Amino acid sequence: MTGRPPDTLFCLHFLGGSTRSWEALARALDGTLRLVPIDLPGFGAARGDTGYGIDAMADAVTEAIVAAAPGSFRIAGHSMGAKVALALARRAEDGDDQLAGLSGLVLISGSPPSPEPIPEDRRAKMLAWIDADDETRAKEARAFVRANVAANLPAEAEDGAVEDVLRAAPEAWKAWLNSGSNEDHCRRVGTLRMPALVLAGSEDADLGADAQAALTLPHLPNGRLVTVEGVAHLLPMEKPEELARLLREPMPASAEPKTFPVPADYAALIASDRVNSRLRATLRQRAEPDDPAYAPKALDAVELAILRAVFARVLPVPGLDIAARLDARLASGGGDGWRFVALPPDAQAYQAALRTLDAAARAAHERPFVALDEAGQDAFLTLAQKGELSVPESLGGRLDADRMRFWFEDVRADAVRLYLAHPAALASIGFSGIGAGGDSPEPLAAGLPGFHSTGLDSPESWEPRSSESAR
Amino acid sequence: MNLDSMRTYAEGDTVDVVVIGTGAGGAPVIAKLAASGLSVVALEAGPNFRPEKFAFDETLADEIYWTDERLSGGSTPEAFGANNSGTGVGGSTLHWGAFVPRADPRDLRLFTESGEGVDWPLEHADLVPYYERVEGFLGVSGPPTYPWDAGRRYPLPPVQRNGPADLMAGACDSRGIRWADAPAALVSREFQSEDGPLRHGCINCGFCHQGCRNGAKASMDVTYLPLAVAHGAEIRPECFVTGFERGADGRISAVIYSHAGRETRQRCRAVFLCAGAVETPRLLLHNDLANGSGQVGRNYMGHVATQVWGTFANEVRMNRGYPSSLITEDFIRAEGADFAGGYLIQSLGVVPLTFGNAVARGRGLWGKALTDYLGRYNHLAGIGINGETLPCDANVLTLSDEVDARGMRKAQIDFGYSANEERLNAHATKVMRDLWEAAGAEDIWVLERVAHTIGTCRMGHDGDTAVVDPFGRSFEIDNLWISDGSTFPSSLAANPALTIMALGLRSADRFLATGR
Repeated sequence: MTGRPPDTLFCLHFLGGSTRSWEALARALDGTLRLVPIDLPGFGAARGDTGYGIDAMADAVTEAIVAAAPGSFRIAGHSMGAKVALALARRAEDGDDQLAGLSGLVLISGSPPSPEPIPEDRRAKMLAWIDADDETRAKEARAFVRANVAANLPAEAEDGAVEDVLRAAPEAWKAWLNSGSNEDHCRRVGTLRMPALVLAGSEDADLGADAQAALTLPHLPNGRLVTVEGVAHLLPMEKPEELARLLREPMPASAEPKTFPVPADYAALIASDRVNSRLRATLRQRAEPDDPAYAPKALDAVELAILRAVFARVLPVPGLDIAARLDARLASGGGDGWRFVALPPDAQAYQAALRTLDAAARAAHERPFVALDEAGQDAFLTLAQKGELSVPESLGGRLDADRMRFWFEDVRADAVRLYLAHPAALASIGFSGIGAGGDSPEPLAAGLPGFHSTGLDSPESWEPRSSESAR
Repeated sequence: MNLDSMRTYAEGDTVDVVVIGTGAGGAPVIAKLAASGLSVVALEAGPNFRPEKFAFDETLADEIYWTDERLSGGSTPEAFGANNSGTGVGGSTLHWGAFVPRADPRDLRLFTESGEGVDWPLEHADLVPYYERVEGFLGVSGPPTYPWDAGRRYPLPPVQRNGPADLMAGACDSRGIRWADAPAALVSREFQSEDGPLRHGCINCGFCHQGCRNGAKASMDVTYLPLAVAHGAEIRPECFVTGFERGADGRISAVIYSHAGRETRQRCRAVFLCAGAVETPRLLLHNDLANGSGQVGRNYMGHVATQVWGTFANEVRMNRGYPSSLITEDFIRAEGADFAGGYLIQSLGVVPLTFGNAVARGRGLWGKALTDYLGRYNHLAGIGINGETLPCDANVLTLSDEVDARGMRKAQIDFGYSANEERLNAHATKVMRDLWEAAGAEDIWVLERVAHTIGTCRMGHDGDTAVVDPFGRSFEIDNLWISDGSTFPSSLAANPALTIMALGLRSADRFLATGR
């Protein structure tokens, strides 16, 4: 997937922006890339257009893309525009012919598929002044632009940005704040396979690197997060040269499937006639690498990312995606025959607990769980284990401390069961049981080898040794 | 098992007996009644497995566990599924550990002895001939003489001892505790089942709980059920019973079940309900049946089944051999006990997932500590108890408001230890820790665990306080009999299956003598 970037980049602006928002970038690119900025309904030259929801905006963009008739192209989405870009990418990967040429995303301080975390007081303030008198509007529009940059823009650029905000249809502005930003596309967007460059400003208040890691990257297994230093929310205007440089770089390569390799001697045991055919086929299937772009079925992509972070601490096995395997099991509905009565059904319990864990991290550190370092994550898991992890409902807590303790017991058990089903794990503990059998044509097998010696310190010559004792 | 040429009955036929469940409670009844010339249809909720499917893997074995969800509450919530609940022709005996001590006579007179618990409404002597019949028929392997019952003889020599058994034997010797090779319902050498298949001797594969591949283990599908089919019983797999039809006299006239998505009924003259201590009361409560006493669901019991684990310098390889090949009954009545009843101790080898699950849940390990500890698998060994649980008002099975895919309310089981169980557990834990220290274990830890499903339809002399009479017959509906662990008035220290089978044969004899 590496190589020369495609030559057309459709550009979707932020709330209050327009095609003008990309002018500085176009100058910086100096023709090395074909930029096609698009005004979203209610903004810029499209201020008279309606249809402010994510799907309606995506429809409008699709029309513009079809009209431009590109071959291969990327979409850059800035803030609000990123959410639209992600919706378009979903359509493309679902086979929409009109978007067949879409080869990658560039998401700049993007609004995620999940509801955007805008503080309520700021949302309310922005809703209030957009309908105020002209003087207030002009003052607040300038304040809005300044609040979203790390250092003031050049006067001309700032004036242009303020003018764009003021010419936006107030209904479009309010529609984004009231509904568009809150639309939950998390499950619909799911997991996208296309490459994506995810850019965050180091000084961005709400949609910086943490938010991108927690809410956007989970949808993009082939995404790469880059934090741009000294930039807040308006990268294309704040550092157009830096953005131009990033755009000229090759897009991220597809993630290679990771493996949990089965040692050769254990693979030989599996291949031998000591192992029956059903087990051999099963072990080989379990040893297949996990798809890095696994699309969760029971959890959503954001929850799956939290679960991966949890399992990276609970059962750290590079190359084994326990979270994906567990999600598949949860989706199949195959349980183990019981659950703690205090907990909701398994899939719901996982969702509620993962959200509670994330809420705990946000409440304590103002950071999502996935962004914490290992010690920080361990601290919350330890609290859960002790039955001391408590997050008020008002802060997003969904399970109380007792339930989190029960859940974390289930987590440990689920992890270890999936781990020890894998032949590489059985190899690492030196488990010989798989070789006690073999195939027999008889309904009640005759002549299987089993074990002849069962006492202490009497391994049979063929029995595998653990990686520990082999050292 | 092979059901290809069995006799079958038409829906319109009225059979003598419908048996619900084909596990330890149902199978001996089906065989006995069919062999006595009765027309018998057995309804089994699960599929008919062929032993070819048993593949030496714990995850693949999920299919032989009862995985319809149950809700576990109380102060000691019990695990179900693989821990104690099976499905398929043969029921829980497909995954059963086949550890078959007999009940100690004192456990049936616990109230008389201690003022705690209850006395059973029958004598131990009533059970002994049935124990002998079952042991002889199954081909139980055991020691030549049994230290705690001088007259007892087992039909087959013991199965091979494994690493944990050797460690426990040595530790017991050093502490002056008697031990014996465990009585195990598996054949230590080739054995011809009566009217059934030729069963091969145990190959020490260690996968008893995942389904026995060669018929060594006496699961019902290679023992009582082939006998039953040979005598004309019909076994219908994948038939989930949901209700009953009753005549004007209140007696059951048909059993209603679903098969392949279709509701079906089988007319009958009598019913043996043998669905185990969870599904039996669940079905009765669902149908508001036979519960005039209000006792259905009450006095649920699981055994205190605490284990102690340690790491040894020896290469133990505990997955090899019959998992629980050593027993001591010295603590059925322990010296200086401050509790009623007692416990037996067994050696333990456990296969990896089951063990890892216990470590993750019970020891609470995670992260590198977990993977490091699992890496010592070949040097680990355990011992565990099976200890008396007294009946208790707080321990009860009820129907949850949550329903399953069939629309039937799920069972909720609240279970917790009372003072007697806590004291017994503390005593046993101390003894087991001491034994494992004597054996040279390091990094000793205790796994709290509850095993088995017992009680909820207790037997007794009086229909006001019991669900069935001492032979398993419902006090209210005289053509309804119950044969499974639900009828136990108290848990006994012994693992339940052998006693369930013995009681089943006794119920069948009674039914034949008086029931029709």
